[in-house]
Amino acid sequence: MKLLNQAGLLLWKDLLLEIRRRDSLLTMFFFGVLLLFVFHFSFDPSPEKVAEMAPALLWLAFLFTGTLGLAQLFQAERENHCLDALLLAPLDRGSLFLAKTCFNLILMVLVELVVIPLFWILFNLHSWNLLPRLFLVTLLGTVGFCVLGTIMSAITLRARARELLLPLVLFPLMIPVILATIRCMENVVRVGEFGDALPWLRLLLSFDVIFLTLGVLIFDWVVDV
Amino acid sequence: MRLTVNKLAKAYGVLWALRDLDLELSPGEFVALLGPNGAGKTTLLRMLAGLSTPTTGRIEFDGVRLSLGKPETRAQIGLLAPADHLYENLTVRENLRFFTSLYNRDSGNGVLDAAMEEVNLAHRAGEYVANLSSGMKCRLSIAKWRMLQPGLLLLDEPYGVLDGQGVNLLEKFLQEHCAKGHIVIMASHHVSRALRLCTRALILHQGRLTFNEAKQSPWRSFDKAFGDFLPHGES
Repeated sequence: MKLLNQAGLLLWKDLLLEIRRRDSLLTMFFFGVLLLFVFHFSFDPSPEKVAEMAPALLWLAFLFTGTLGLAQLFQAERENHCLDALLLAPLDRGSLFLAKTCFNLILMVLVELVVIPLFWILFNLHSWNLLPRLFLVTLLGTVGFCVLGTIMSAITLRARARELLLPLVLFPLMIPVILATIRCMENVVRVGEFGDALPWLRLLLSFDVIFLTLGVLIFDWVVDV
Repeated sequence: MRLTVNKLAKAYGVLWALRDLDLELSPGEFVALLGPNGAGKTTLLRMLAGLSTPTTGRIEFDGVRLSLGKPETRAQIGLLAPADHLYENLTVRENLRFFTSLYNRDSGNGVLDAAMEEVNLAHRAGEYVANLSSGMKCRLSIAKWRMLQPGLLLLDEPYGVLDGQGVNLLEKFLQEHCAKGHIVIMASHHVSRALRLCTRALILHQGRLTFNEAKQSPWRSFDKAFGDFLPHGES
């Protein structure tokens, strides 16, 4: 309970700072929308082809916008050496991991809530009834991205070219999440339900649970590196 | 709280910032940590705060090793870095509330108001820290550590940004803090001010502890050691 209380306090602080600064959310939002327009103007496929490509294109947009968010994740802590203040405090460092993961998750979900419907509009897709299932899969994939991203963001925190290093370290490790999410989304787009993609969905869930637990347990060591 | 430092050393690559440092401090001691730039003062403070891992040696608080320290041990250590460790886009009140909550201390409005009043910041309570001067930020840090009451308080060059009234506030706080049995270690280049307050002086020179004595009057051994590394003296 103490862990959750501390995480809640840290999350409140991050949300308050984001509401006042708005730099992460606005950057991610505009970048996500910009990517959709680039996709839209770059090729003009048939609706069937777009439906096939939608999961990969959407995840390409989420990966890039998410990485932008991760690069800013510890920005408030880098200013005025506030990370030192947090490391000095008697908090369970797992709570710092939970707070940062939840914060990034909230930002990404807000972006996704705009980007997915916009994709449907831009590419003139009519299968609006699929969106709730697609959101569910995207949410599971986003949790995996945020969990692993927060760990990697903390590991690269003191690196010199961290903005360049972060995607290089993160993307290879994200392959299981991306693969599982895209397979699930493809199935939903193709047949309207999870069907054959259930093993991928289970993989996604397992990944989220394992890395969330691992993050809470190892974050003390991660931020000490 | 009793602080014991044993054979402490820190290397950055091939450069030894600190070597073979042994130290034992009792409750209520006020230590002036002196030495020229690059002597290893900040390195020592960061290791004592648990923010930097020693290359060799150990630090113990009441017999508990710091590197294996639990959150309860960390709650006993404070680091007052002027104008640092505060969130710029939170207000004065929000910063205080955030840190007191983090340390599980009373963060009610009455307590916060009293703390801000104490450092003459009550009229700026709703203002963002980004809009405060460095001196005011330092006052806010004083208010913060006054509320958190750590058993070991470390200060890194606190005088630089404070005006006369701020200096009085700081010194009053530090003296009260020691009187409660807490240890204070202050790194400073304002030697005369530090010596006036301290009960012990340490001089670091090129990463080695060259002087470690309780305060005496007159203090000829200090004058000699101090003169060795700063031939022109400092005030």
